[in-house]
Amino acid sequence: MKWVPETTAYDEAFDRSAAPRSHYRPLVSTLESFTLTEIARRERLQKISLVDQGITFTVYGEKDGLERIFPFDFVPRIIPAREWERIEAGLIQRVTALNLFIADVYQDQKCLKDKVIPAELVLSRKEYKRELLRVTPPRQIYTHVVGTDIIRNDRGEFLILEDNCRCPSGVSYVLENRNLLHRVFPEFFTRYPVRSIRDYPRLLLDTLLWSASRASENPVAVVLTPGIHNSAYFEHSFLAREMGVFLVEGRDLIVEDSYLYMRTTDGRQRVDVIYRRVDEDFLDPLTFRRTSLLGVPGLMNVYREGNVAIANAPGAGVADDKAVYAYMPALIKYYLDQEPLLGQVPTYVGLRKDDFAYMRDHLASLVVKTTGDSGGYNMLMGPFATRKEIDAYAGQLKKAPGNYIAQPLVELSSHPTWVDGSFEPRRIDLRPFILYGETIRVLPGGLTRVALRPGSYVVNSSQGGGSKDTWVLAPRGS
Amino acid sequence: MLSRVADALYWMGRYLERSENITRLLLVTEDISSETQGLAEQVAQSAWKDLLAIFPSSHVGPPASAFAPTSMAYLAGFYLDAGNPYSVHYSLRRARENARSVREALTVEVFLALNETFRALEAHARRGLVDPPSFRDALTSTHKGLFTIVGAIEHTFTRDQGWLFLKLGESLERIYRTALILRAKLPGLAAAEPRADVALYYTQWRTLLRALGSLENYRRSYGARLEPELVVPFLLLDPHSPRSLRYGLEAVKDQLERIAGGREPTAAMRLIGRLHADLCYQDQRVAATGADAAFLERVVETMGHAHDALTAQYFVT
Repeated sequence: MKWVPETTAYDEAFDRSAAPRSHYRPLVSTLESFTLTEIARRERLQKISLVDQGITFTVYGEKDGLERIFPFDFVPRIIPAREWERIEAGLIQRVTALNLFIADVYQDQKCLKDKVIPAELVLSRKEYKRELLRVTPPRQIYTHVVGTDIIRNDRGEFLILEDNCRCPSGVSYVLENRNLLHRVFPEFFTRYPVRSIRDYPRLLLDTLLWSASRASENPVAVVLTPGIHNSAYFEHSFLAREMGVFLVEGRDLIVEDSYLYMRTTDGRQRVDVIYRRVDEDFLDPLTFRRTSLLGVPGLMNVYREGNVAIANAPGAGVADDKAVYAYMPALIKYYLDQEPLLGQVPTYVGLRKDDFAYMRDHLASLVVKTTGDSGGYNMLMGPFATRKEIDAYAGQLKKAPGNYIAQPLVELSSHPTWVDGSFEPRRIDLRPFILYGETIRVLPGGLTRVALRPGSYVVNSSQGGGSKDTWVLAPRGS
Repeated sequence: MLSRVADALYWMGRYLERSENITRLLLVTEDISSETQGLAEQVAQSAWKDLLAIFPSSHVGPPASAFAPTSMAYLAGFYLDAGNPYSVHYSLRRARENARSVREALTVEVFLALNETFRALEAHARRGLVDPPSFRDALTSTHKGLFTIVGAIEHTFTRDQGWLFLKLGESLERIYRTALILRAKLPGLAAAEPRADVALYYTQWRTLLRALGSLENYRRSYGARLEPELVVPFLLLDPHSPRSLRYGLEAVKDQLERIAGGREPTAAMRLIGRLHADLCYQDQRVAATGADAAFLERVVETMGHAHDALTAQYFVT
C-alpha cells in the first residue's frame, strides 16, 4: 500500500516523522491489510450504492444532465474526543453570540450605537432586512440551524472560516456517508468508539417544533424547497422523509387571514413552522423579490403576526456576512464577555481605509472574496492567480471596496485520500452543524469536504470537491 | 396530503402501469409477429399496426433497411425512443421524475427499484440494441424490474392516501389501456375466419389474452378452450382476474370511496359507479356481446372524464 506524504500542510493522520498519529494507527493498519483488488471491489460497491440511491446534487451551468453524485472518499477523518470538546464549546459560544448579535441588530442596535461594529457595514448589507426591524421571532431564536466552516492551519489549530446562518446544506451527506461507510467498509469501525449521528433528524424536528407558537397542540412543521431543480433538492427531500414531515414548495402554501396553510387533498391544513431551504429573498414576493415564483405571497405578514416560525429566521443572513465575520471576536467579547474559544482567520475589510490600502498593495498574496457570494464563486486566490487576473480583479475592487474582504492564504490541513491506487494527501475542511432549540447542540462530526485535485484548496462540491465520513470518538471510559 | 404530492403519485402510478403495458405488448407482439411472419404476413403486420391505435404515436419510423424485420422499427420506437410519448423509455422516465419530485413520500426500496430499472433501460438506449433477440432480452429484464418496483410498493408502502392515489393512477390507466386494446383488436378477430386456419385463429385469441396479461387466469377458469364467447366476457366481467374491466372498475370505485372517506359521492365516483353498474348488471346475453365498439368507446371516454373530475377535485385545490 502506497502512502504519499504531505510536505507543506498539517497532516491529520501522520506526524512530521511520517508515523501515524495515535488515533489513526488502528485505521492505517486496517487499510494496510487490504489488497488493491479488494479496495477496487469495495469502491465499485460504493459507487453502485450511490448511483442507485440517487444521492446526487446539481451543478449549475453544467450540461451533462442535472444530477451528479457527490464523490465520496472512504478514508474517514477522525477527531479525538478531547479535540472535539474544544470545537464543540467554541461553536456553542459562537452561535450564542451570533444569535444575540442578530437579535440586537433587529431590536435596539446597541452594538451599532456602542460602535463595536460600524453601523454602515451592517445596515448596508443586502442581507440586512429593514422590513424586519422590531419583528421578534418565536423564542427569540434566529439561527435554528448553523453550519460553520472550520479549517486547520499548518500548526494544527482549528480556525473558524465562515458562519452559515441562512440555510447551510450538506447534513444529508454527513448521514449518508456514515451509512455508506458502514456498508462498504464495516471493518473500519471495529476498533473505534465512533459517536453516532443518526439522531440528527429527530433533533432537527425537536428544534423546529420548539419554535412553534401552538406548542401544545401538535404543531405542524414542513420543509420548504425551491423544487427538484435546486442543487440541494436531494437533501431537502431526505430531511423531510427522515423527520416525517411534508416537503412543500411555495405553490403548496397559501396565506389566509394571517395564517399559513398548505393545500391538501382534504382542503387546507395549518402550518406552524417552516424549515425553509429557500433563499429569503424568494420567500415572499410581497415583501422581498417581487418576481419570485418560489415564494408565498403574504408569508411575511403571517410571520410578523407570530403565527408561523421560520427557520432560519429571515434576516439572519446579516450575521454570516464575510465582513461581519471580521468583527466576530469583538462581538463575542461584547455580548458574552468571554474570549473566543476558537480562533479565526485574520481578515481585512475593504470598508476600512487602511485595510483597503493593504489589500490593494498585497493582492498577490491574499485570498479576496466578495461579501455576498458563497460557494467559492467570484473569489481571487492571489498566490495562484496570473498577473492579468490580479489586475482585472484590482479594477473591480476599486469600484466598490466595501464589497470585498481579504485574508492571507491559510494552509488547509490535509488528509490521506484514496486516489488512483494510492493514499495521497488532499486538503480538507469541516462543516459541523449546530442546532439552536431548547438548548444548543452540535452534531458530533459534520461534513468533511475534500479538494480532490492535488494541491487545490477549493473543497466546494460545486467546484470539484468530494466528502469524507467524519468520526468523533467517544471519550474513553464512556 | 399535499395536492401536489397526490398528483405526482397518481401520475407515477399511471406511468408505471403504462410502462408495464407497453413492455408486455411489445413482448407479446414480437412473439406473434415472429410466429406468423412467414405464415401470414398480414397478421404480423397488423399486430404491429394495432400498437399505433393503442398508443397513438407518430414516432415510429420506417424500417432501417428493406431486409430488417418489420418489428425492429416498432421495437426501437416503443421501447427506447425517448422522444416518443408512448415509449417505455419516456413513460419510465416520467414515472421516475414524478417519484423524484416526491421522494419523501416514497420508501427507499421503491425509489431504489425504480432508479435501477430506469438506469438499465437508459444504458440500452445509449448503446442501442441490434436485433429482436437482444430487444427481447432487454424487454424481459425491464419487465422484471417493473414487477420489482410494484412489489416494493406492495410490500413497503404504508396504506395511506398516497398509496390510494398511486393505486388509483394504476387502475385508471389499466382500464383505459385494456379498453383501447380490446377496441383495436376485437374487430379484426371477429372478422377472422376460423376455418381458414384453425391454429392461426386460436393463436390470435391466445395472443389477445396474453396482451392483456390474462392467459393463465383464463385457463384456470376455462381450460385450454379458447372460444370467443368465453374469452370476451372473461376479459370484461371476470370478478377475480386483475385485468378484467370489472375488476378494474371495482378497484377504482373502492379507491375513490376510501379517498373521499365516507363523504358525499364525488363526480368521479358517480361516473365510475354508473359505468360499473352498466357493465355488471346488464343482461347476460348482452354482456356476452357487450364488447361492441360503442361500449368500449364509452369506457375510454368515461376514464377521460373521471381523470378530469378527480384532477379538479384533488390536484387543483
